[in-house]
Amino acid sequence: MTAISERQQRAYIASQAADMRVNVELETEGMTLNIGPQHPATHGTLRIIVKLDGELVVAADPVPGYMHRGYEKLTEVRTYPQVNTLINRIDWLGSFANEVPFILAAEQLMDVEAPPRAQWIRTLLFELSRIANVTLFLGDMAVQLGAVTPVFYAFRDREYVLNLIESATGGRFHPNFDRIGGIKDDLPKGWIAETKQVMVKVNAFCDELEALLLGNEIFNVRTRGIGVIPPEVALSYGMSGANLRASGVDWDHRRDTPVGLVYDKLDWKVWTHPDGDSFARYWVRLQEVREAAKMVIQLCDGLPPGPIMAKVPRIIKVPEGEAWVATENPLGEMGYYVVSKGELVPFRVKIRSASFNNISIVPWLLRGVYVPDVITILASLYFILGDIDR
Amino acid sequence: MIRLSSTDIDNAEGAPATDELRSSLVEGLVAELHDGVVASHLVPGRDVWVRVTADAWESAGRVCRDLLGCTYFCYLSVIDWLPSPFGRSMDSSVDNVLEGVAAKDPEPMTHGVAGGESRFQLIARLYDVNRHVGVNLKVDVPDDTLTMTTWTKLFGGANWHEREAYEMFGITFAGHPSLRKLYLPGDFEGYPLRKDFPLLARMVKPWPGIVDVEAMPGVADDEGGE
Amino acid sequence: MGLVESGKLPKPLTKLLNISRKYSMWVYQWGLACCAIEMGAAFGSPRYDVMRLGVIPFPASPRQADLVVVSGTVTDKMAPVIRRLYEQMPEPKYVISMGSCANCGGPYWDSYSVTKGVDQIIPVDVYVPGCPPRPEALLEGIVLLQEMVANEDMAAKWKGDPLVVD
Repeated sequence: MTAISERQQRAYIASQAADMRVNVELETEGMTLNIGPQHPATHGTLRIIVKLDGELVVAADPVPGYMHRGYEKLTEVRTYPQVNTLINRIDWLGSFANEVPFILAAEQLMDVEAPPRAQWIRTLLFELSRIANVTLFLGDMAVQLGAVTPVFYAFRDREYVLNLIESATGGRFHPNFDRIGGIKDDLPKGWIAETKQVMVKVNAFCDELEALLLGNEIFNVRTRGIGVIPPEVALSYGMSGANLRASGVDWDHRRDTPVGLVYDKLDWKVWTHPDGDSFARYWVRLQEVREAAKMVIQLCDGLPPGPIMAKVPRIIKVPEGEAWVATENPLGEMGYYVVSKGELVPFRVKIRSASFNNISIVPWLLRGVYVPDVITILASLYFILGDIDR
Repeated sequence: MIRLSSTDIDNAEGAPATDELRSSLVEGLVAELHDGVVASHLVPGRDVWVRVTADAWESAGRVCRDLLGCTYFCYLSVIDWLPSPFGRSMDSSVDNVLEGVAAKDPEPMTHGVAGGESRFQLIARLYDVNRHVGVNLKVDVPDDTLTMTTWTKLFGGANWHEREAYEMFGITFAGHPSLRKLYLPGDFEGYPLRKDFPLLARMVKPWPGIVDVEAMPGVADDEGGE
Repeated sequence: MGLVESGKLPKPLTKLLNISRKYSMWVYQWGLACCAIEMGAAFGSPRYDVMRLGVIPFPASPRQADLVVVSGTVTDKMAPVIRRLYEQMPEPKYVISMGSCANCGGPYWDSYSVTKGVDQIIPVDVYVPGCPPRPEALLEGIVLLQEMVANEDMAAKWKGDPLVVD
């Protein structure tokens, strides 16, 4: 009897010890993981400090500023045309789209309106910038999930669009083509026909990616229900663009307040998605590229003849006043608050860039997700460092 | 007390003379805040500015969010109304402080739309995504304390914007959860977006862009505008 | 490499070594700003195809790299990080500075937060001008660097002051 109880006792002690050992092994201490500032997933130099409990993210703290170039200070010491050159480089993938709201704000203060043809060409280049910008996202998002092929497709088809922008403006990346009162040049000969051909390629690219990715099981498992943002939270963080529309908020500057651009003359559609997850953000952007291609074809067909510059003085002095103009840029709402004191240089320019607000939600969004999802969520939010740090 | 100075702006062609939607926003703010609204400025069909007192800053945000439907937080920033002591930084001879040229006498401080009394003014924009109308809120930051109430409890997005304002202008936000530097390295001194923060590179080297304002050869003076 | 260090490497052998080094450049991409996208187009896109020049753009860490392309604006906050990663690279190492910002500060020459040129913190071998340079310009820069490597005397590199490890 004692022997049995002894054996039982020993077994009990052994099981206790095993339990304790397992507990010791499974119990993990908090770990701090540093992502960046140079990391392939951060499109540049965003640094994120993530506190982990096992695989679970307890807290995430993004550290921006590795690309802070001081735009708002520099605008105060540059003339309006010089500012235009500078702000091309904020969102460097859709450069032309950065110029438009600033030029529109200056035009509003000067009470100048660009002639119709200039407005159409502006809208045309605006949408081409959107295609050049978002196609890279469509390929890049797949890379973050481990599929390498789509990014090669994206770079391939993006080159055609960049060639168009280059042949029209002279700059592959930074056109600096918009002027107060109009645009610099008219479109080159044969450009319209070529643009239409390229749009066929862009549509084919969208179909290809849809076939490759949207039905893919891995893609669905990694993005559906991951990184869900409810609309009220998105609004309170000031998220905009496709990120907001993927949360079901039906708001688009192009449709609702098309200041100075001709979106109201086109037949197109604003896409939203009710889910608010990574998949929704990808899906909405894919549809936006299609809509942009559709718009570009309509813009090519409807381009009115006429002058491309309104009459403005050669040396531009903007009258005293304050103006806010925002447009729906590829990354979201981009706006400039321009304060002028009637001089050659602006007194103060507040640059409201989309990615800054879109990324400020990261501490809220990454709490409680798993480590592998950190990268996909960041990729699906789609930010550009120049647009965060300015 | 309340000045609705919408009449002094000449209307652009086709713009409506009145703007019921935007004036209802101003009326809504006045009805809730009473004396908290100092001044307002409305450009029909374009935009509206409302200046509130420092005490009413937080409640102004709350009224806009909860009662007026402006749930979208666009941005929050600061305007430093001090005229730059370094001129417009376009003229290299004025700019060249290191060569013994003293800083220019500051011009008198003037404020923009909806007025102002202090050097620093906060400006924030809230937007209604359903009615497609936005409101610009302004508030004077007291010169002696440079402190303002935080909006982080109202809008999550205000967190980073207030950190940016703290770093760039030195404005403190009472009640902010973690007011620390956002962009600049930790050992950076000074508040770069203040008007009296000098750009040192400009002081040691004349601005090469100065040629832009010289008259082109063969162009008559009256054509150049200046 | 004892021969190299003693400075007695026969000329043909030097040439052979240099040719092998020239066509197996492992490049670490230090993409910082706008230029990073053009660098991506040069290194990643099928149109420009950098691998035909014998440049392999895949090292996972600077410890495996021969060449680093610094492309984009270097800020004062970033500068110490760049310095540290450069120090992690094994000798012989080369640096290409891509774009006006990395060359001299570019459009941000008067900014309060931008380092006026990456050559203030690390030595640069080839400067590629442009804002941003086209991918072809970067390829030209790589070809120039390869020419430099082909004519390099490795022994001469070692004849300088002895290395001191702190």
